[in-house]
Amino acid sequence: MEVITNNNLKCTIALAGLYNVHDPEIGLNVVDLGLIYQIDFDEEAKEIYVSMTLTSQFCPMGESITNGVKQSASNAFQDYSVSVQLIFNPAWNADRISIEGQEFLNR
Amino acid sequence: MFPFTSNTGLQKTTSYKIVLPFYIFAGLSFLLACILLLVNTSVVHQHYFHPKTLAITHLMALGWGTMIILGASHQLLPVLIEGKLDSELLAYFSFIFAAIGIPFLILGFYFFNTGSVLQTGAILINAAVISYLVNVISSIYESKKYNVYAWFMATASLWLFATTFFGLLLVFNFTRSWLPNNSTEYLSVHAHMGLAGWFLLLVIGVASRLIPMFLISKYTNTRTLWSLYALINAALIGFILLKTNGSFTGFYYSPFILALIALILFGNYCFKAYKVRIRKQVDEQMKVSLLSVALLFLPLLSLLAVIYFISSSIKTNLVLLYGFCIFFGWITAIIFGMTFKTLPFIVWNKEYTTNALIGKTPAPKELFSQTLFQIMSLLYLLGFLLFIFGIILLNDTLLKTGAVCLLASAVCYVSNVAKVIFHQPKK
Repeated sequence: MEVITNNNLKCTIALAGLYNVHDPEIGLNVVDLGLIYQIDFDEEAKEIYVSMTLTSQFCPMGESITNGVKQSASNAFQDYSVSVQLIFNPAWNADRISIEGQEFLNR
Repeated sequence: MFPFTSNTGLQKTTSYKIVLPFYIFAGLSFLLACILLLVNTSVVHQHYFHPKTLAITHLMALGWGTMIILGASHQLLPVLIEGKLDSELLAYFSFIFAAIGIPFLILGFYFFNTGSVLQTGAILINAAVISYLVNVISSIYESKKYNVYAWFMATASLWLFATTFFGLLLVFNFTRSWLPNNSTEYLSVHAHMGLAGWFLLLVIGVASRLIPMFLISKYTNTRTLWSLYALINAALIGFILLKTNGSFTGFYYSPFILALIALILFGNYCFKAYKVRIRKQVDEQMKVSLLSVALLFLPLLSLLAVIYFISSSIKTNLVLLYGFCIFFGWITAIIFGMTFKTLPFIVWNKEYTTNALIGKTPAPKELFSQTLFQIMSLLYLLGFLLFIFGIILLNDTLLKTGAVCLLASAVCYVSNVAKVIFHQPKK
């Protein structure tokens, strides 16, 4: 699934870090799982806005996943602050899993 | 700025402090039930209305099955109804009342003290169930999501209350004759309210959501779930009406057929979810949980035999077989599977939520021993089969050997649960 952004280069760097943040139950990273919707950069305010979802609004792992996303983006851009917004409309569904993600789950 | 403006925010999940005591109590109850089964295998030769049999059955139904389901459902209710648990205080009350009431009830049955000990136990268990029922109904009401899963949860909780309240009447009927007939006359109604109304409805409601979720399956069929809901309730209400009106025993086949159709539909639902799953690798815990769906047909087969031989002397033996297949078969298998699908995540969340990426974080499945889980599953299957043949053949050696294997599997289960609960992150 494609991630919407206002800065392609920085988004690629952020995503490279997010490939290391995994859903603990599924074992798949949040990017291939299709949880990341949008990453925007506010250069003046030095702020990163990550819009993402969870497989369920009451996912018991939600807090650890969002913490992981925040830490990963902070590590990649140390002079930026990171805000994560959870979106449940549109809700996550299995069609959002990338081809690489599907291959991982097929193993 | 964020592009999205509606339906956002992380919802608070139920605290581990509420859930873990239920799991601990349930594990110890199962261990005790297996010990009691081992030292009382001779009860298989006697009528099912025997103090020791009643004690073991209630320990399995309340201490093991109900306690773990109460614990898990406090955690899973928010996922099912997409709303938060309304009251943590009521959840604590539910545990405290049940944890005090169940030992009273078991002691009352075991030593057949039908007075104050049994009555205190029954009253406290009803207080626990009322706390749970109010919490479930108010959580659903607050969430405003009246989906099929919410109906399964609410109706199952109502049947649980009906079961324990009727149980309370039966307990008082021992000494005060509150009901027109002897308490033994009502046993089957009391038992089936609990088995079909509470356990079956709740397990089907929760499993129909969790099995596709864990398998990452796109399969969903709300119409089938509503049909299941209607069939199980109709079968149960039909049975209660037939039994209380003293109808011709041949009519008992009709609720049986309704339940059979429901189970076939549920088995088909699980199979379809399994077939279109995206996650191809199925872990041991899911395999055991799926096995429990297949194990549902064993008690149904024994129930068919009970109805067929209803006036014969072998009915007593078949009733024991029926009860054993439910509590030590279906319910135990699903708990074995689901404990290690839910408990490690609850503990993992407690330990690693704030530092998910700092240092080496183990996966939740690494919090328990897979080897011990496999040994437990093998011992359990062996013990279960040996004990079944022991009941059918009335063979003491088979009964004792089966009970030893079941006890060994209970030891493995409790050890693995303790390993998860006492997990400490490596410095």
